[in-house]
Amino acid sequence: MSQISSSSKKGVFSATVLANRQIGQRFHRLRLEFSADGARAFAQFKPGQFTQVDLSSAALPPEQDTPADLLDASRRELLLRRPFSFADVTAEGDKTFAELLYCVVGPATLRMTTLSSGDRVSIIGPLGNGFRILGDKKTALLVVGGMGAPPLQHLAKTLTSEHAEIEVVAFAGAKAASELPFEGRLDEISQQLGFSLPEFTKYGINSIVATDDGSAGYRGLVTDRLQQWLDEKSGLTPDSVIIYSCGPEAMLAKVAEIARDKGIDCQVSMERRMACGIGLCQSCAVECRVDDSSQTTYKLCCEDGPVFDGREVVFV
Amino acid sequence: MSERVDLSVDFAGLRLANPVFTASGTCGYADELGDFMDVNCLGGFTTKSITLKPRKGNPTPRIVETDAGMLNAIGLANIGLERFIEEKLPVLERMTPAVFVNVAGETIGEYVAVAERLATEQAVAGIELNISCPNVEKGGISFGTEPAQVREITAAVKKAAANRLLMVKLSPSVTDIAAIARAAVESGADALSLINTFTAMVVDIETRRPVLANRTGGLSGPAIKPIAVHLVNKVYREVTKDTGTPILGMGGIRTASDAIEFILAGASAVAIGTWSFIDPGCAAKIVEGLRSYCAAKDIANISKLVGSLEAGRNLAH
Ligand SMILES: Cc1cc2nc3c(=O)[nH]c(=O)nc-3n(C[C@H](O)[C@H](O)[C@H](O)COP(=O)(O)OP(=O)(O)OC[C@H]3O[C@@H](n4cnc5c(N)ncnc54)[C@H](O)[C@@H]3O)c2cc1C
Ligand SMILES: Cc1cc2nc3c(=O)[nH]c(=O)nc-3n(C[C@H](O)[C@H](O)[C@H](O)COP(=O)(O)O)c2cc1C
Ligand code: FES
Repeated sequence: MSQISSSSKKGVFSATVLANRQIGQRFHRLRLEFSADGARAFAQFKPGQFTQVDLSSAALPPEQDTPADLLDASRRELLLRRPFSFADVTAEGDKTFAELLYCVVGPATLRMTTLSSGDRVSIIGPLGNGFRILGDKKTALLVVGGMGAPPLQHLAKTLTSEHAEIEVVAFAGAKAASELPFEGRLDEISQQLGFSLPEFTKYGINSIVATDDGSAGYRGLVTDRLQQWLDEKSGLTPDSVIIYSCGPEAMLAKVAEIARDKGIDCQVSMERRMACGIGLCQSCAVECRVDDSSQTTYKLCCEDGPVFDGREVVFV
Repeated sequence: MSERVDLSVDFAGLRLANPVFTASGTCGYADELGDFMDVNCLGGFTTKSITLKPRKGNPTPRIVETDAGMLNAIGLANIGLERFIEEKLPVLERMTPAVFVNVAGETIGEYVAVAERLATEQAVAGIELNISCPNVEKGGISFGTEPAQVREITAAVKKAAANRLLMVKLSPSVTDIAAIARAAVESGADALSLINTFTAMVVDIETRRPVLANRTGGLSGPAIKPIAVHLVNKVYREVTKDTGTPILGMGGIRTASDAIEFILAGASAVAIGTWSFIDPGCAAKIVEGLRSYCAAKDIANISKLVGSLEAGRNLAH
């Protein structure tokens, strides 16, 4: 086997923490550096691919720093690795840097908050299939629901740097402003001008924000904004548009339905509980339609996904 | 010294390069592990349970993590006998580890049909009989919980695949595992593998429902290891020490030390399950760890360790 193909395959790699920064009530960004083998493997990391991170040896935060609603969960021991995508990946020479954007929800992500500069973590990757960028598209719509942001931030970068001809618009929704994992300027003027999410603005991408309670952007569901936007752009030919989405499954189901009704291609990034992430255990089943028949089969989120065609998934 | 250590073991007449297997359902069909280790460094390989017809498996969630373990209810999802033979067996055939195909079914007829077909395949060294499935003909009770049923199914499969080794995999969720082991050995089992997972449940207190879609799942991982060591030792002392039937021991193995515990307790070989999810190259590390242990203890052949638990009190603690 040649040097090149063997260095880009998946494996277990060690990454060094460069920074771990809190960006919101429950959101943090972990900056990682891979060197040597890991740098080579992860330089090829595609938006929408993911990793399996071992957090079992990271310390828990002190009890007084643990959110009250996670105190019970913090007592649980960690056995399995946890799946995470990256919000950004940059290769510079023989080093590769990655940004992991995470939300603190349980024992593993609680431990992640105590990682600090110089700590090492074991990471398996790159795993799964990322978003597919199709050459015949002129418009790409990124639809983010809450913690679905990381792979779409990464995709925004790849689209604008490698496919400048594609116009990109980002939609981001959550229950409330505090549940949007962005370092956003959520003042009214920025929102009206589409500048509220610097994570997208820095790539020249306008964003449309919606929250259920109206605490940022439009009041209501992000999928309603998407529908409205598409209705208003009646001049677009459906064939030239693609929707990329990541977020809660109910939202993905709605996005896929809108895309289907409009005859637009749609790729969704799915989440499942994963024991292995590498096709060993079959825990991560996603029910999919078999062609256009009424039959279904289970595909593996980790190996066949996590990105699926919106038309094939039978959402739960 | 470590080069001179002989890790090979005799397993029911089969010469294995070393006593380390991967456990059924935790190692895919072997090609998935190839990125993480040289699969040829294993002594043996057991496949995911294969059934006569493909099975979709259970809805999700299929797993949930517990303290030092996890529950799974995959529902025997597999590609079925024909596709297994066409697509997966050729890959396994090119590997050096002894391949045991794990077989499951809902009727004795299904088990027999699968075993008969597999016995014609060169790549198959043996069949691992998963008898933890419900017997639909007998009202759903598990094949593996009643000695009479164990006798019937073991004898039927042994007859159908007489030219292949038959290893019967025992469930720990029984009153007397030695009675089940005896039934299997007396009906033609060439080897035993133990333990399968323990039936267990995790409850979501917000929704007041079991977390798993299947309600219950099988507990595996480090949490079950001390029980597994005990059960291997019990079956060894009460049944297989006399009959000479080898045991493939498993349950929560993470390290070479864990593997040695099983071997001392009576296992001729060991299988690595859940820990491959966390460290997919761990089976290879365990092979090397066994070599170092034997070298350090001046043990020329690892098979000398099998069942060599000392009698009497342990004064080291
Ligand atoms: C492909 C993929 C990519 C991901 N990328 C990111 C990311 O970039 N950033 C990020 O913050 N999170 C991401 N996640 C989710 C992340 O894996 C979970 O938040 C993490 O496992 C939680 O671990 P924990 O121990 O902190 O909490 P746990 O106690 O394990 O989980 C907390 C709660 O979330 C639920 N849950 C856990 N895992 C899943 C899952 N996979 N699907 C549905 N519900 C689940 C649990 O039931 C529980 O209620 C991703 C998941 C997948 C499958
Ligand atoms: C996800 C998963 C799937 C499994 N699937 C099977 C199976 O198909 N057939 C079988 O006989 N045992 C199956 N097992 C049981 C294992 O082979 C093994 O007996 C058990 O997990 C104990 O070993 P461990 O603690 O090292 O995992 C499965 C275990 C796990 C965790
Ligand atoms: S997580 Fe194990 S097969 Fe997908």
